[in-house]
Amino acid sequence: MIIKSCVQVLEKEISDLEHRLQDAKARLALVSGQETAGDSYLSLPQDVVPLLPNHALFLLSDSALPLGSFAYSSGLESYLAHNKPLPPKVTPVASFHRFLKLSITSIASTSIPYVLAAYRQSGDLETLDNDMDASTPCVVAQRASIAQGRALIGVWERAFRGTYASGPFLAGVAAAKAVTAIEAFSDALKSCVDTADALGPRGHFAPLWGIVCLAMGMDAHQTAYVFMLNHAKALLSAAVRASVMGPYQAQAVLASKGLQDIIIERIDREWDTPVEDAGQVVPPLDLWVGRHELLYSRIFNS
Amino acid sequence: MPIKSPFEACIAKPGQGNVILSLLPPSNPTLTTLTYKYPLKLLTRAPHYVPQSSALSCPVSRPVHLHLLTYGGGLLPGDHIDVSIKLEPQTRMVVTTPQGSTKIFKTEPNTSVKGRRAPGRVLSDKSRQTLNVAVGREAALCYLPDPAVPYKDSRYEQVQTFTIDSTTKDSQRSSLCMLDWVTQGRTSRGENWDFHLWRGKNEIWTADESGKKKLLLRDSLILDEELDEVCLENEDETLNRSGLIRERTRPHGIVGTLILYGPVFESLASFMMDRFTSLPRIGARNWSSSAPAAVESSPNFDSKVTFTAARVRAGFVLVKFGASDFETAKDWLGNIFREEGTVLNEFGEEALCCL
Repeated sequence: MIIKSCVQVLEKEISDLEHRLQDAKARLALVSGQETAGDSYLSLPQDVVPLLPNHALFLLSDSALPLGSFAYSSGLESYLAHNKPLPPKVTPVASFHRFLKLSITSIASTSIPYVLAAYRQSGDLETLDNDMDASTPCVVAQRASIAQGRALIGVWERAFRGTYASGPFLAGVAAAKAVTAIEAFSDALKSCVDTADALGPRGHFAPLWGIVCLAMGMDAHQTAYVFMLNHAKALLSAAVRASVMGPYQAQAVLASKGLQDIIIERIDREWDTPVEDAGQVVPPLDLWVGRHELLYSRIFNS
Repeated sequence: MPIKSPFEACIAKPGQGNVILSLLPPSNPTLTTLTYKYPLKLLTRAPHYVPQSSALSCPVSRPVHLHLLTYGGGLLPGDHIDVSIKLEPQTRMVVTTPQGSTKIFKTEPNTSVKGRRAPGRVLSDKSRQTLNVAVGREAALCYLPDPAVPYKDSRYEQVQTFTIDSTTKDSQRSSLCMLDWVTQGRTSRGENWDFHLWRGKNEIWTADESGKKKLLLRDSLILDEELDEVCLENEDETLNRSGLIRERTRPHGIVGTLILYGPVFESLASFMMDRFTSLPRIGARNWSSSAPAAVESSPNFDSKVTFTAARVRAGFVLVKFGASDFETAKDWLGNIFREEGTVLNEFGEEALCCL
């Protein structure tokens, strides 16, 4: 932890120094008046990274990515039903904020180790998928994870593979390995007979997310961050449809510093967690998700 | 050649224990190995209870009881208990903790720790417990211990690994019933999830003929106050962070998991599933205009305990529950086990001594 904070301090210092250097150069340019027309936009944000690698990032963070995530509330609907009526001093929005925080913490501790493990060791995909299935304690959560995972494989095969599996967009050796691993996994998934006792591949979302992101050339931080952000987006979208808050309020929460901070904090915390140590940190969440099946009326699948 | 001392301890490390239960012909369960070392103590008892009928078709052997004891009924920081148990085919074992709940103690560190600005503001050592059980073909384990009670500021970690025989099918499978629950601490002293760390992991593995291991089930619970040395030096941050576990477990005062597997516990597993699926719907309303308003059903055990049961995979039934306090959860579980009767029938009344 001490080393980690040291690194953070140094990184901050470096970026600060770079910023000051840039600033000084810009001022020098202004004072000396040598440079003319071309540099007048220097004060605007710089193109730090070329846009090309970010294209995959934009695709995967798009809320129109057809994974069907909108059909799942990750226990929000059940949480609302279990906490009804609210105590007099608690507003629905405050209650939702509690859930948002718990849900993000929990998804980070249960899924981020798998996302990163699949990203780092793409060859272990089948084992990771099996272990994720073994670690998911209720059928409701399992269904949600498998449906989204299989949808992601579908999107990869039907849409992204054509561009990213070969040619100029293939991002290096690791990505090529990831492409082969997805291919092999997808074949195993299709040939597996879905009987109750068979323990074949299931297609869980978290490990597949890691490996598809690798195949599309994203870096590990982006992979984890977009995974968490997409989860937050799905929760907020569910909150809007469950009439907890309005769409503008939901966007405000999504944009807020609080949400960014908690996502980054949770990713940092789970960055080096091995999959064996992934686990539930919010035990009531398992109960809420599992009891979604008991709701009298439902608008979501989880 | 040096002569081996007859007084030499057979186990090197403190806290280690080793048990092997075999079935000697014709049908005589015998502990062929039983060793342990301080601070662990293992006691066994072979009650004369013989199951009259069983879900298994093979000849039924008498269950053997194993009591897990520690000196003082709990674990001090730095204690490491490591028990490994092997049940050979067709044997049965009941494991209980007759000392009541497993207390996870916390001792104040020595005041004279060198190089510390504020003595007493260091994290205490973790206490750890490891349990490894191999359950053979047609063997059955019933492990219903008391809950763990982690005291304020304690740190604890436990890993319970069960290996079952998967080379056989259906009625020849191993059977397993295990309970793992943790409370908020000593409620009588006002403790409410005030410990620093409780990490519990239950894994069930299987190995096929070639010896390749496969994970069947992993249930992992991490209750972490997320303190580290840096936070401890900074009082304000500690104050800010306190209550993290309480916030994450609200509204429960005890949480637990029950795992059921195998032919012996099949009817108990179905009973739990039925109990769950027949719970009243949440938010149900009576829409008919003529019928009288729904009668408020009398509060029963099911309404006081929040639980879910799911048939997850490979025939496992996983029950998770949360309740406001230990007594409620205990009564609920005891009531279910006694009403259903499998455990009483197959292992005798003493198997439920903790409930």
